[in-house]
Amino acid sequence: MSLTYVLNRLLSVILTLFLITLVTFGVTNILPGDVAMMIMGTQSNPEAMAGLRASLGLDDPLIVQYGRWVGGMLTGDWGNSLIFRQPIAVLLGEKIAASAIIVVMSMTIALSLAVPLGVWAAVHRDKWQDTTSSSAALLGVSLPDFFWGIVMILVFARWLGWFPSSGFVDPAEDFMGALRHAFLPSLALGLGLMAHLTRMTRSTMTGILEQEFIRVARAKGLAERVVVWRYGLANAIGPVITIAGLQVGYLFGSIIVMESLFNYTGMGWLTYQALLNRDMPLIQATVFVIAAVVMLTNLLVDLLYLAIDPRIRLD
Amino acid sequence: MKKFRTSKGLIGVVLVALILIVGLFAPVFIPPEAATAMNMTARLSPPTWDHPFGTDQLGRDLFYRVMLGTQTSLKIAGAAVLMSIVIGLPLGMISGYAGGRTDNVLMRLVDTLLAFPALLLALTISAILGPNLQNTIIAIGIAFTPYLARIVRGEALRVAQMPYVEAARSSGTTDVMILTRHILPNIMPAVIVQGTISLAFAILAEAGLSFLGLGTQPPAASWGLMIQASRDYLDIAPWTALVPGLAVALTVLGLNMFGDVLRDVLDPRSK
Amino acid sequence: MNALVSVDHLRVEFPTDGGTVVAVQDVSFAIEPGETLCVVGESGSGKSVTSLSVMRLVEFGGGTIASGSLSFTRTDGTQLDVAKASPQVMRRLRGNEIGMIFQEPMTALNPVFTIERQLTDGLILHKGLTREAARARALELLQSVRIPEPERRLRQYPHELSGGMRQRVVIAMAMACEPRLLIADEPTTALDVTIQAEILALINRLKREKGMAVLFITHDMAVVAQMADRVVVMNAGKIVETGTVADIFEKPQEDYTKSLLAAVPKLGEMAGKAVPEKMRLIGDADARAVEAAKTPVARKPEVLLDVRNLTTRFPVKGGILRRTVANVHAVEDVSFTINVGETLALVGESGCGKSSCGRSILRLIEPESGEVWLGGRDIGALNAFDLRRARADMQMVFQDPFASLNPYRRLKDQVAEPLTNFGIAKGPALKARVLDLFDRVQLPRAFLNRFPHELSGGQRQRVAIARALAVNPKLIVADEAVSALDVSVQAQVLNLMMDLQTDLGLSYLFISHDMAVVERVSHYVGVMYLGRIVEIGPRAAIFGNPQHAYTQALLSAVPVADPRQRKFRDDVRFKPITSPIFPTGHAAEPSVYFEVAPSHLVLQN
Repeated sequence: MSLTYVLNRLLSVILTLFLITLVTFGVTNILPGDVAMMIMGTQSNPEAMAGLRASLGLDDPLIVQYGRWVGGMLTGDWGNSLIFRQPIAVLLGEKIAASAIIVVMSMTIALSLAVPLGVWAAVHRDKWQDTTSSSAALLGVSLPDFFWGIVMILVFARWLGWFPSSGFVDPAEDFMGALRHAFLPSLALGLGLMAHLTRMTRSTMTGILEQEFIRVARAKGLAERVVVWRYGLANAIGPVITIAGLQVGYLFGSIIVMESLFNYTGMGWLTYQALLNRDMPLIQATVFVIAAVVMLTNLLVDLLYLAIDPRIRLD
Repeated sequence: MKKFRTSKGLIGVVLVALILIVGLFAPVFIPPEAATAMNMTARLSPPTWDHPFGTDQLGRDLFYRVMLGTQTSLKIAGAAVLMSIVIGLPLGMISGYAGGRTDNVLMRLVDTLLAFPALLLALTISAILGPNLQNTIIAIGIAFTPYLARIVRGEALRVAQMPYVEAARSSGTTDVMILTRHILPNIMPAVIVQGTISLAFAILAEAGLSFLGLGTQPPAASWGLMIQASRDYLDIAPWTALVPGLAVALTVLGLNMFGDVLRDVLDPRSK
Repeated sequence: MNALVSVDHLRVEFPTDGGTVVAVQDVSFAIEPGETLCVVGESGSGKSVTSLSVMRLVEFGGGTIASGSLSFTRTDGTQLDVAKASPQVMRRLRGNEIGMIFQEPMTALNPVFTIERQLTDGLILHKGLTREAARARALELLQSVRIPEPERRLRQYPHELSGGMRQRVVIAMAMACEPRLLIADEPTTALDVTIQAEILALINRLKREKGMAVLFITHDMAVVAQMADRVVVMNAGKIVETGTVADIFEKPQEDYTKSLLAAVPKLGEMAGKAVPEKMRLIGDADARAVEAAKTPVARKPEVLLDVRNLTTRFPVKGGILRRTVANVHAVEDVSFTINVGETLALVGESGCGKSSCGRSILRLIEPESGEVWLGGRDIGALNAFDLRRARADMQMVFQDPFASLNPYRRLKDQVAEPLTNFGIAKGPALKARVLDLFDRVQLPRAFLNRFPHELSGGQRQRVAIARALAVNPKLIVADEAVSALDVSVQAQVLNLMMDLQTDLGLSYLFISHDMAVVERVSHYVGVMYLGRIVEIGPRAAIFGNPQHAYTQALLSAVPVADPRQRKFRDDVRFKPITSPIFPTGHAAEPSVYFEVAPSHLVLQN
């Protein structure tokens, strides 16, 4: 059954990818044919504009334009960015790699803090430990991440001078430098994410600790440490990973703000530049790629869950 | 009602009440000029008796700007959440109750929209429609709709399988009546709680959009814009970032706490 | 010689927001080595809290032992006051000298660990065994609880085992270190009756072989009669009465014990009686309780419901295209009739299709084929509009009284809903009718404006019955309508249902898993197994002269609330129920019956 499940998920992913292209194309075509105007400006000569339109294929019916766009992506021709005057495929490759560092780093920070904290709160439910960590988590989700970012810049870059406050360094050239530049944005993202994951871990773990098998484990005379951290946590890992996977979408929204704040030239920064300058081909590409990455992450998480949880593995 | 008397409930209620009062009445008592009046002699002034929250780089009074920004935030977030409920509630209810093909098609669409991070979707829509107050509302509203529809659908599905719905059906209750009398009241608590929490997220989203220049446009007072403007003066005037930042934080915190407590209070068994 | 356990003036408190709740107070009893002590009581009696206190597990649920002592004689002969022992000592006691089994076998095992890991960790901890030695011992344990293919089971995960097998694993786990006391907290409540019989017999055998004492917690007087040497009856956190099992059942001293026993239907006590009979409840102010036996039931030799060859299947989707690859044959070629004013009980274990059968008749689920005639009308042929009208004649009462009422509507509105739906009554007439219905189900009128959460389970079930009665139905399908209720409440609701039948000439399709209740209420009985009726006939014939092997097995598995009729001394084993799932295109054979006696039919295999 699990093979059919995987195939099923793959089929559904392909269908969703197709729908994502439709939504992306639809959203970016709410206003008609702006690319020519964007290239030449609003004051340009109408005949030249018409010529450009024709050469860009903007006079074709939408369905033809859509077909050309998807066909191009399938064959590796993603078109050119209007503001960077570079092939989009090349730009995307560089920027995704840059953002991957931040995504992985912030997720690591968030998970390694949230899981112990959430379990701790669940174990001491309704006691001061729970109140403290829950309040901290609540405060964390309530602050915008760019506010965290500003605080980080102020404290760690301006006052303490431990980390750089802006820029990106290619890890191939200077690995430690790359990590140092990625650290503050990752920390700012990670703290917001941690708050969320702590709350989720707490509620998952609270539910698990109420289950009968926990009582059975205690009745066997197992130490509380074993009951919570082995019997309990083994059951929480799956749900927590799933929730963390869903948060990747939230992360990809937040990196737009955070990379812009830290001048970190990754996917978020690229998307922001595209949106700000209404670089239509680049908007389409970045929006599509982010949605696709989010969806594929969720697929990966589902498959991971499949490997972790024996109930799904064999059903 | 006992649940409101916990410290968390109390803080939530007080914060939300305070924010609502400021949001409603600040524009009545504060003339719009007070927030836009520039005073080049008092630029980046730290908090003083004249300017309790200090001034910004143009010498504008931060206290007045933060107070007026409350209404901008609430207006945009409130309208956006209302929009997402107006679209998402019937969509989710029909999907959950009808099931089958209708459900499959609707939820496939919702799942597709959920693949787009809400902030990305809102930014894109706002950038393409052209950033202004109304389009910010539309952008956030559309971005939040799939989340609400998902939750409503899950709730509707759960309620539709309850024996009391089956009992209603077997005693001749029509589908419309089942939806309005049995399903709607039973999913309303979840909608209200989700609405409150969405409101918190919408305020964060509005701040984010404005911070990036794709939301509320100057010279209107908006918390996100104020934080954006503070970036260049962090070293010498950190209060220009902290004041609007804390305003966002307190509002969102209040709404989140209020939402958490509402969840308990709206459970009919807890009365 | 000291008692194994001696509980003295135990008091357990739970601090809550609204002040301290005393769950158990002034509880004293002793357990001698090798005896079975049953603690019996209804919900809220404090019986589970008492059992958890012996292990001091109660503190993990937020409770504290406020006063009293729990003296336990350890293996080395020393006395230990469990109430004051350190957590370290308690851990050495738990699972080592005291074993415990719980109610829910489906959730008692950790779903992400193998059976081997869960069986061996206690052994490694308490007995210091190596992994290999522990594994060998685990294998031995699985054999001693008679699990087939024990080697394979060790490698499996809990979800791969059936409920009965899981409970055997839980017992094996509790027995691993050969404890001197086994605490069993409602160990068979969640199980089907044949599996319950197997587990009860298993506990009896292990107790005998190991000379172990058992503290057995249950709400079921019949199980008490089967298992106990001595009995403690609890109510509202206090002990009502203590005595030997014979004394409690034959010479109960306290009124509470007497009323509890009166409310328990005893299998076999209806032998020789022609019609259903109300329970004689003690302290029942309603004088009709006594006269009921004399009241002739309003029966008519006229068929109300005629079900012919009813078949209902649920598709099982699978494969890449989510096509139907198999079908659950939930109801397979079922036929029966119910006369006006009579009760047909459908009885069987979980998954036998009895509920699906009831729902198919009301077309709450669409049957695959077959006909349902109600009062001369073909229900299956009705369009949606006419079906809605026709449902006024047939109403349903559901099992869970907490889920069958809308939590956000006032009771009077819920009872009035069917009336307004069909435009039967309006304004003052509607109000009068609702009042009348409340009176009829003996609910105080003060409840009219209340919400469901303000009522107890039994009161809610009365509201559900009032709602079903509102449109003057001819047939009521009662799907496990009393199963979720405490035994005394169950008896009251059963009596109410029998009164209503007498007064209104109602017909019931009474769906239940409880043979003793069925014997009490029904005129006819159909026994279901794997979607089919395997035997159907007059109640006396089914209970007095069962012909089908499954009916016989079912009856032999039912515990009788009489300590003189003990059944489960030695291992019992029933054939496990096979799956009702068949691939698409599977041609099910028609149900063919032979007539043992007039209207007593048995399925030919």
